[in-house]
Amino acid sequence: MANAASGMAVHDDCKLRFLELKTKRTHRFVVYKIEEKQKQVVVEKVGEPIQTYDDFAATLPADECRYAVYDFDFVTAENCQKSKIFFIAWCPDTAKVRSKMIYASSKDRFKRELDGIQVELQATDPTEMDLDVFRSRAN
Amino acid sequence: MTLAETYACIPSTERGRGILISGDSKSDTILYTNARSVVILDLNNPLKVSIYGEHAYPATVARYSPNGEWIASGDVSGTVRIWGARDDHVLKKEFKVLAGRIDDLQWSDDGMRIVASGDGKGKSLVRAFMWDSGSNVGEFDGHSRRVLSCAIKPTRPFRIVTCGEDFLVNFYEGPPFKFKLSSREHSNFVNCVRYSPDGSKFITVSSDKKGIIYDGKTCEKLGQLSSEDGHKGSIYAVSWSPDGKEVLTVSADKSAKIWEISDSGNGTLKITLTCPGSSGGVDDMLVGCLWQNDHIVTVSLGGTISIFSASDLEKSPFQFSGHMKNISSLSVLRGNSDYILSGSYDGLICKWMMGRGFCGKLQRKQNSQIKCFAAHEVEIITSGFDNTISRISYQDGQVTNEESVGVGNQPNDLSLAPLSPGLLLVTFESGVVFLRGEKVVSTINLGFTVTALAVTPDGTEAIVGGQDGKLRLYSVNGDSLNEEAVLEKHRGAISVIRYSPDLSMFASADLNREAVVWDRASREMKLKNMLYHSARINCLAWSPNSTMVATGSLDTCVIVYEVDKPASTRMTIKGAHLGGVYGLGFADDTHVVSSGEDACIRVWSLTT
Repeated sequence: MANAASGMAVHDDCKLRFLELKTKRTHRFVVYKIEEKQKQVVVEKVGEPIQTYDDFAATLPADECRYAVYDFDFVTAENCQKSKIFFIAWCPDTAKVRSKMIYASSKDRFKRELDGIQVELQATDPTEMDLDVFRSRAN
Repeated sequence: MTLAETYACIPSTERGRGILISGDSKSDTILYTNARSVVILDLNNPLKVSIYGEHAYPATVARYSPNGEWIASGDVSGTVRIWGARDDHVLKKEFKVLAGRIDDLQWSDDGMRIVASGDGKGKSLVRAFMWDSGSNVGEFDGHSRRVLSCAIKPTRPFRIVTCGEDFLVNFYEGPPFKFKLSSREHSNFVNCVRYSPDGSKFITVSSDKKGIIYDGKTCEKLGQLSSEDGHKGSIYAVSWSPDGKEVLTVSADKSAKIWEISDSGNGTLKITLTCPGSSGGVDDMLVGCLWQNDHIVTVSLGGTISIFSASDLEKSPFQFSGHMKNISSLSVLRGNSDYILSGSYDGLICKWMMGRGFCGKLQRKQNSQIKCFAAHEVEIITSGFDNTISRISYQDGQVTNEESVGVGNQPNDLSLAPLSPGLLLVTFESGVVFLRGEKVVSTINLGFTVTALAVTPDGTEAIVGGQDGKLRLYSVNGDSLNEEAVLEKHRGAISVIRYSPDLSMFASADLNREAVVWDRASREMKLKNMLYHSARINCLAWSPNSTMVATGSLDTCVIVYEVDKPASTRMTIKGAHLGGVYGLGFADDTHVVSSGEDACIRVWSLTT
């Protein structure tokens, strides 16, 4: 199925990995990349449940855009353990304009494929996807 | 991160006008305003200061309510804010009272009514209203020009007296207040009117050097302050003693006088007080006064607050001062005693010591404005807007020598190399000037727009930052520069560069809110992603042990990063200075000193 705005297809693997993260909890995070030549969104990296936020932040390149899904665990005010699924649109200021355009126009269509995202975050530099931001958006 | 000390700003003063300060006798604090802040200062401990910064316009006057719970403050837009006197200063109500600036504000003795007077573009120059609902309690016509002061009789029957620039003293009866009569005894602006604590008399003082005493209930003139030994200049403010038998007046003739008021209403001079340590200039004119409990407080045009003891008038007063305007730079000096030097853009340099507060002002030959400032053990270098650099040498707090050197262009930034004696590098728009002692040795045109500079203490290496965000490293050979490397990372004009005290690293910050720490030997980035500010970074400082970097920004925050840990584990101080943080320094490894647009200096403790 092609994306009407930018013509990017979504590889089946993307949806599979997301469902595994949601139901079976076998991953901490999934990082997606748009392969321009193949004209589709593919899975670039998958993180183990034991990996932390810092490992996740390290996988995102500083000069290129990515999409990511992160399973964030936290404790609420009433002292119960909860987790929320975050969708992060990583578009650093230093990336190429063409790259930012493609990712921005394909984002909506891609998100619709992933059913069950609770919070969406857009980050243009590392401070915007800091742990403090996660915590404040989780509540 | 907790606030350890605050060195407050001083009241804003204006030549030719008095200021009105007030206080609370129960908590022994005084209230005054500076730009948008209202300052609550404890008279017994001037280091204990609380500042309220919620006004959107410069605040002009503030008063405690009679029960000490609330403070009402007015500003230049005619708005009165009523807020809690304690803790968080919660806002109770806000009213738009006049169309122009509010010059004086008084609570009635039962705390239910407030009268405000000021400028109103012809219509309402005075308004009295209920404190909680804002409904009017009278009509105040009778003045045609700015009403400088107002007073409410503290005892029943209530009366309101107003006085102003039209030389009139108007008397209103009520509530609801209506015009009763007008008195034209003065021949110049009537600056202040105050009722005695028992309400039997009130006194008006004016720029015609007279003070006239009236009966509190009928507004009949009773007498005046005796003209022999009277003031020789405009009298700006007046304050009654707590027992109502004496009156304190301050004047443009640089003295404060205490008068005994007899029951018949005549005033005879008891004593004249002058402030010691006066430089003899305009700055010593006294513009504000307050008599509270045992304290007699006078404020001079230059902002010096002198506190005399009413029971022991011969004792010399406790004096302190501070800055009135934006403190644009700060330097922590370590020597036999550690002290802090602060420079504000109006040319004032003050010395402070931690734990003691204000230590003195530096007397300079001409108080030219200061744009850049650098200080080292016995020398202070400043530059302003007149294309010259001033080198000031001082010892023990006294200026011993001051030289001015012309550099031909407006200096942008300057850096001192203390170990290479006398070497000073100054940047201007397109290059660098080398100065040794008082001579300009060379002027080098670099070909790009220069915005910041740092030089190592031994004068061998210099880093120049440009408008394009590039950092260029130069080695200093005699009087010329050899380019060694160009570092690109910043995405905005560089605002400040600083070497670490151990010289192994340097940090740079730009106008695009980013700061970077570089390793000096390898010229690689050591700590990046220091992007947590939301506005341009104005200043940067290293801790003495070179493990921490602090950045201060226009967004009023100070952020402290540890060089060995990732940038996300930072400590933030939000709202450090209303209007932006402009100066930063480390007093020692656990204390950060910051200064800003609100003319205050704050010391923060990093250990909780």
